[in-house]
Amino acid sequence: MITLVKQETFKLLHKKSTYAVSATLLIIMTIFGVLTRNYPKYWGDPKGMFVEMFTGINWIVLFLIAACSSIIAMEFQYGTIKELLYRKYYRGQILVSKWITMLLYSIYFFALCFVWSMLLKVVLFNDKFKLTDTFQSGYSVIETQWLGIVGSFLTIWLVLSLVLLLANIFKSTAAAISIGIIGYFALSIISNVMFLLMHRWEWLKWNPLNMMNLSQQLVSSSIHKMTLLSTPEMVIGSLVYTAIFMAISYVVFKRRSV
Amino acid sequence: MADAILNVEHLNKNFGRKQVLKDVSFSVQTGHIVGLVGPNGAGKSTIMKAVLGLFNYSSGNIMIDGEPVSPTSHKAMDKVGALIEYPGIYPFLTGYQHLQLFSKESTSKDQLMDIVDKMKMDSYINRKAKTYSLGMKQKLGIALALVDRPKFVILDEPMNGLDPQANKDLRTIILDLAKQGTTFLISSHILSELEKLVDDLVVIDKGQIVYTESMANLESGGKKLLVLQTSDDTRAKEILTQNGYQLDDGDKLSIIETDSTKMADVIKLLSDNDIEIEDVQHVHSDLETSLLNLLKNDKVKES
Ligand SMILES: Nc1ncnc2c1ncn2[C@@H]1O[C@H](COP(=O)(O)OP(=O)(O)O)[C@@H](O)[C@H]1O
Ligand SMILES: [Mg+2]
Repeated sequence: MITLVKQETFKLLHKKSTYAVSATLLIIMTIFGVLTRNYPKYWGDPKGMFVEMFTGINWIVLFLIAACSSIIAMEFQYGTIKELLYRKYYRGQILVSKWITMLLYSIYFFALCFVWSMLLKVVLFNDKFKLTDTFQSGYSVIETQWLGIVGSFLTIWLVLSLVLLLANIFKSTAAAISIGIIGYFALSIISNVMFLLMHRWEWLKWNPLNMMNLSQQLVSSSIHKMTLLSTPEMVIGSLVYTAIFMAISYVVFKRRSV
Repeated sequence: MADAILNVEHLNKNFGRKQVLKDVSFSVQTGHIVGLVGPNGAGKSTIMKAVLGLFNYSSGNIMIDGEPVSPTSHKAMDKVGALIEYPGIYPFLTGYQHLQLFSKESTSKDQLMDIVDKMKMDSYINRKAKTYSLGMKQKLGIALALVDRPKFVILDEPMNGLDPQANKDLRTIILDLAKQGTTFLISSHILSELEKLVDDLVVIDKGQIVYTESMANLESGGKKLLVLQTSDDTRAKEILTQNGYQLDDGDKLSIIETDSTKMADVIKLLSDNDIEIEDVQHVHSDLETSLLNLLKNDKVKES
């Protein structure tokens, strides 16, 4: 298994896009940091910017959706899937090694984002606020950031498990990427309608889109009135959906004829 | 059969309702080069994929070196190198990186360079594969199959896209490795490509094995014909048949030669009957022709 993860990492590290994406992330975060420092009137509160890692979290979602769909779909696209499968390894191992690689990649992104946001804070906003300042609901700035990180990590993986499944079914990056992105950002568009429907039919609170409110719920004291779920229920809900999508992926991949 | 590295027994495979392999049985002797020949769509790649444990089959048995092979039993794959259909290539990696990626950890750098050298890929091995031509990709695919020096190598139409020189180089490499004990199963839809290479031949058509034979037997099995052109072929055929000569099917007047066939006798017999002989030819039906005859043969019926 370690060999397989190494091989997946080898491929990832030899793609130019891997480096381009990391660089882009840092550049965008820096731009937002500078804008916030120079034009706080238009770009909002520096603390708020720091908490969402200078918009970094949103970009991580995009990049990880692309990476997850490509790590599966490229093997079909390049015809390398046969080479992967007719070795002494089993199909399940091949798939799991790809999941582990993506898990490591997502951890890398969060770490990079966190470190860079700390750096921007020290360089650009050292005199503006302290990490221990109260932000909202009694949490400090740094606590809010961490809760946000944990929450988005779980919701991002809910989306990624769906993307991994779709890439597996459609064997194409395009379909998986578009549905993943729409899925993630659809929430903000339809959440009002969803909340209304949920008050009518309460069981709807268990739908996967509702789980995506997790990061907000972690830092807010009031949103559970909208989501109708307690925070632990939401955490478990996210994990269960992730597990279900992964399990379907596993079955599909094992049965796929090549 | 202790010395067979591959044993396929009563293999059946369906894609949906379509039966693609019908009761396929054959074996590959250790150290031999075996040719799997058949027209396009006969089921060559399907057999090879089944042998590599790539998919489930409805019934049958596949053993490599005494170990069963199926999608859930891949242990034997450790001894196998393969190229199926077309090589899978990552455009963003160089040829050398492909070799690094897919070779075993126990395979040394010298071994990587050795196969690069033998396949004459030095000039472009460090270029990204997206710049490769079809033939270069094909060579890389073959190199990937051979790099770990496996005991058993499966090559599906390996000559595809290779120029005559590369084709010749590949033959040399295969023969060399076979001398050192590597076993090969090589498919092709063109028999003449394999003729100079293989020890045994397995012929497949419409998912059925129609012929398995050692090359030596097949070569000597070709017929010698005496083809005549006369002023009256129809009457000549009658006369020859009446006199005990065996005629080959077909429009042309051709006598199947045996040891006792004497041209002088034939000429005398015909001229005695006032038939003029306009042309005489000796024809040795070659391997390609005997194979084509075999495939036309009614042995293979749609079921
Ligand atoms: N995945 C598949 N699904 C359905 N039919 C297939 C599939 N793969 C191969 N076939 C069919 O199986 C037959 C044998 O194909 P193949 O083994 O590729 O032939 P060959 O390699 O001898 O040219 C063909 O009729 C082909 O259409
Ligand atoms: Mg084929």
